[in-house]
Amino acid sequence: MSVSLSSTEAPRRWRIGYRISPVGAVAFLVILAWAVVAVIAPLIAPHPVGEIVDFDFFQPMSAAYPMGTDYLGRDVLSRILFGARYTVGISLASVAIACFCGVTLGMAAAVIGGFFDAALSRFLDALISIPSKIMALVLVAAVGSSMPVLILTLAVIYTPGSYRFARALAVNVNAMDYVTVARVRGERLGHLIRAEILPGIIGPVLADLGLRFVFIVLLLSSMSFLGLGVQPPNADWGALVKENIGGLSLAAPAVIFPLIAIASLTISVNLLIDNLPQKIRDRSAA
Amino acid sequence: MNSLILRMVAGRLVVALVTLLIVAVVIFFATALLPGDVVQILLGQAATPEAVKGLRTAMHLDQPAALRFLLWLKNLATGDLGVSYVNNIPVAELIGNRLGNSLKLAAVTAAISVPVALTLGVTAAILRGTLVDRMIAVFTIAVISVPEFLVATLAVIVFAVTLGWLPALSMTGDVTTISGLLKAFAMPVITLSFVISAQMIRMSRAAVIETLNAPYVEMALLKGASRRRMVLRHALPNALGPIVNAVALSLSYLLGGVIIVETIFNYPGIAKLMLDAVSTRDLPLIQGCAMIFCLAYLLLITIADIVTIVSNPRLRHA
Amino acid sequence: MSDTMANWTPGDDAMVENAIRRGADRRELLRMMLAGGVALSAGGAILGRAGAALAAEPVKGGHLKIAGFAASTADTLDPAKASNATDYTRCCALYNRLTFINGAGLVTMELAESVESTDAKTWTVTLRKGVTFHDGKSLTAKDVVFSLKRHLDPATGSKVATLAKQFAEVTATDDRTVTITLAAANADLPTILGLHHFMIVADGTTDFSKGNGTGAFVLKEFKPGVRSVMARNDNYFKKGPYFDTFEYFAIADEPARLNAVLSGDIHVGANLNPRSLRVIEGNPSIAPFISKLGSYGNFILRLDMAPGDKAGVAEGFKYLVNRPVIQKSVLRGLAEIANDQPIPSWSPYYNAELKQREFDPERAKSLFQKAGILGPEIRVTVSDAASSSADYAAVLQQAGGKIGLNLVIDRVPADGYWSNYWLKEAFHAGNINARPTPDIMFSLFYQSNAPWNESRYKSPKFDAMLLEARGLLDLSKRKQIYGEMQAMVANEAGTVIPVFQSNLDGVSPKLKGLVANPLGGMMGYTLPEYTWFGA
Repeated sequence: MSVSLSSTEAPRRWRIGYRISPVGAVAFLVILAWAVVAVIAPLIAPHPVGEIVDFDFFQPMSAAYPMGTDYLGRDVLSRILFGARYTVGISLASVAIACFCGVTLGMAAAVIGGFFDAALSRFLDALISIPSKIMALVLVAAVGSSMPVLILTLAVIYTPGSYRFARALAVNVNAMDYVTVARVRGERLGHLIRAEILPGIIGPVLADLGLRFVFIVLLLSSMSFLGLGVQPPNADWGALVKENIGGLSLAAPAVIFPLIAIASLTISVNLLIDNLPQKIRDRSAA
Repeated sequence: MNSLILRMVAGRLVVALVTLLIVAVVIFFATALLPGDVVQILLGQAATPEAVKGLRTAMHLDQPAALRFLLWLKNLATGDLGVSYVNNIPVAELIGNRLGNSLKLAAVTAAISVPVALTLGVTAAILRGTLVDRMIAVFTIAVISVPEFLVATLAVIVFAVTLGWLPALSMTGDVTTISGLLKAFAMPVITLSFVISAQMIRMSRAAVIETLNAPYVEMALLKGASRRRMVLRHALPNALGPIVNAVALSLSYLLGGVIIVETIFNYPGIAKLMLDAVSTRDLPLIQGCAMIFCLAYLLLITIADIVTIVSNPRLRHA
Repeated sequence: MSDTMANWTPGDDAMVENAIRRGADRRELLRMMLAGGVALSAGGAILGRAGAALAAEPVKGGHLKIAGFAASTADTLDPAKASNATDYTRCCALYNRLTFINGAGLVTMELAESVESTDAKTWTVTLRKGVTFHDGKSLTAKDVVFSLKRHLDPATGSKVATLAKQFAEVTATDDRTVTITLAAANADLPTILGLHHFMIVADGTTDFSKGNGTGAFVLKEFKPGVRSVMARNDNYFKKGPYFDTFEYFAIADEPARLNAVLSGDIHVGANLNPRSLRVIEGNPSIAPFISKLGSYGNFILRLDMAPGDKAGVAEGFKYLVNRPVIQKSVLRGLAEIANDQPIPSWSPYYNAELKQREFDPERAKSLFQKAGILGPEIRVTVSDAASSSADYAAVLQQAGGKIGLNLVIDRVPADGYWSNYWLKEAFHAGNINARPTPDIMFSLFYQSNAPWNESRYKSPKFDAMLLEARGLLDLSKRKQIYGEMQAMVANEAGTVIPVFQSNLDGVSPKLKGLVANPLGGMMGYTLPEYTWFGA
């Protein structure tokens, strides 16, 4: 039985080449825009990131400070522009690592099974049940705080979940006839997981990646408050929300705009994933 | 099939013990890596060398840490979780009360969020690509993009400070009436539901859609089954494995991960207890909490794995 | 005539109020104020204000709910181990001290009737009659001896072991008299005995979870890290307390604490962020309660490590720190400008002659140039454990950037900061709580061999002056010596002290009888005993 046969009958409008739906295009543009901002932030930010521009705090929006001022009287717009570097960069890097490791290991465990599967599953289960805060603290204590450590910490925290989910999906696919056939054919592990298993689970895996991205963006803010990674006066967007939370009852723009920035990025990433052309989503159709 | 599951559960029990042991060892080394020990932390700024030495002797902490750990393990085998270093209260007693609170909160949250989330997720899958599907997607992501502390704080400002409908704190200990209990639980449960629902909604949608692409569903479609019937009868059972895994992962968050909700609503649960334990380096208490989290997690995933096997006939015969 | 005078502080208001409460008459009070240099007409205005505050007779009844900022399983009712506002507040409600430091910073008597000495070395403490513990036992000299001596035992884990070291001998002369012999003369003993840790517990107590003291409230429930509930002690030896019951717990999240007061769920939210003043002001359901404390956050340049070991570096940073910006932007006005020495302006020992150091980046630049530290990266270690230190550092970094100083901020975890980074790093942030006398401040933080000599300041001259002043019973002479020592610290030590931080509590407007106390927020943590619900 061949999967490509069944896919020709799959939902109609997804079949036409690489045509991208408008929603997906908009989402892609938003992500691209933030990526560009992350790169050119120093050129376009009106003020240095740490500069106290006004003695007054939680200022409303004005011509001078389009997004108001923060809890110390710093320009919120500038801080968001600079924050893009951390939120976009770190989150993308760690989500990529976490999902790559998690999904690969998950598929491998499902295909190989036996002792390898059992040992890996138990080890990652143990890892998952250790609260992330302890893990983060220990890592800082052991290796010090730096950007790579931050990215790896986030990746380590989110790998087991990704593994579990991918494995659950892969176990189902692994039981399919065409995988059994491929196995009997004598295909190698690399081929099995890449060509046979992955296409069958890529949809949920991508959806999972989108969600993990959101979680990492949010966890990042807690990390910088633990003293890990992003150092003041810089801050990622989640940390911007956190440090200005006192402005919430004053309806300060300083707490609202970083939130909008986070939402615009996370929603775009997930909408893009939802609207990826079928040829990418489902490589078995190729 | 029953015997298979029985065999699996029995196997899992053995494996659970091994996992617990791994966790205990990892926690032991992790705590050892943390700066300062319980005595230094308790003395704070007053931690002069002689004060540290004196208090260490007084608290019987002058034995090597590894020896204390082995003793703790030995006692654990007899069901004794040990005594907290910082206040000499048995760990079981400290955990006991607060675990009950945490379980209560988790149960109420799960009872509300799981059905809602799965309904939304499956609906989105059935109506895939429509406006409803898109709205559910945007709404879900928007909801989880708002940090938990902000949802909780906003809820307090609106419902407790401005409207005065609900108490700002969840002091369930003093509550005697049903309506009082509902009021006390309302805001923490809403906040937590926001946090954990998104993953379940997204994952159930993705899993159902994936099975909709599977050949046998195509077959059913060709045979003229309605889309809704197809989803509920054919796709859903097959998507159950990943969905239940997503639910299990989401629910496991409800014990150890609710620290922010416990803090903001002053709810005495077990997550804050573990945080206290870590910040005072109270090893028996850290271990006790970690064991509870690990057990809860293992229980959840074992259930998830059983469901996965039961729901997929091919795996039954594997 | 205006009643706002430059040298009249809220502390003075409190002193007058206390005096009235003790039963002082108007003439006595005016004499007291004249002695303090207050014009007669202004004195009348102050009396009027204090009178109004007292006009409302305390009302009995009600359930007081207070939320502090920290509670954990390490919460304790052992006064020797008490470590934060949560422990202090509970202990203040359950126990008493021999002496009490009042709102004006003056020593009054509590369990002691008198604390006297002729040579500042041998002290005689006479106990008040008719005081009983909650379990019915009468207070005797034995309890006092036990309570003071236990600080010397390392097994107690006392937070004030270093201060207690000077108790060479503590003996019960009779049932009501205790003789304390000090290792060396110390005129400040009555003040030291007023510190929270020196509360009096019953002789032989080993289990402190019962909270058996002589205090205003009797313990009903105590769950570490969760809450405590207490009820009024009807056999209390003083007037009051007024509340039927008193409940204390902690809400670690500051906005949540503020919101709980706003919604009426609690009556006091302790330690609010200065920025919350904007919400508090003009809101009828909450009132600000501000206490000037003399606590401060500082930058520490170790004089024995680079870059602080080079001449002029510490001085340069003292010029580079923009105090008004920290006062206005970081602390929103809830701060007093400090002058790199730890004695605040409201202390009777404050040296007003010492010139205030101004923000002078050019001068800092030339000092740094001379020391050759402009250009290469200089790291300053900060943490949330030292409150607002990251914000202080941001202000310093901004000013430094303009003169070519490459300051890098290294924020490290709050967890373990005091044992891992404080005192250890070359350039880092500290956070010092006020102590009531210059002697304690200087001996703990600036004496050459002090355990917490933050910048490793070493001066035999300073040490000799400290010892000399300690034994003097003559106030004006001590003031002169302490004044000189303040100048030495400001000019020579490696500690940069930008401002003194005030404490902000948010309280229900129903709460009456509030008087700020220099020992800490919430009236030096004694709020439950002295306040009541007005109509």
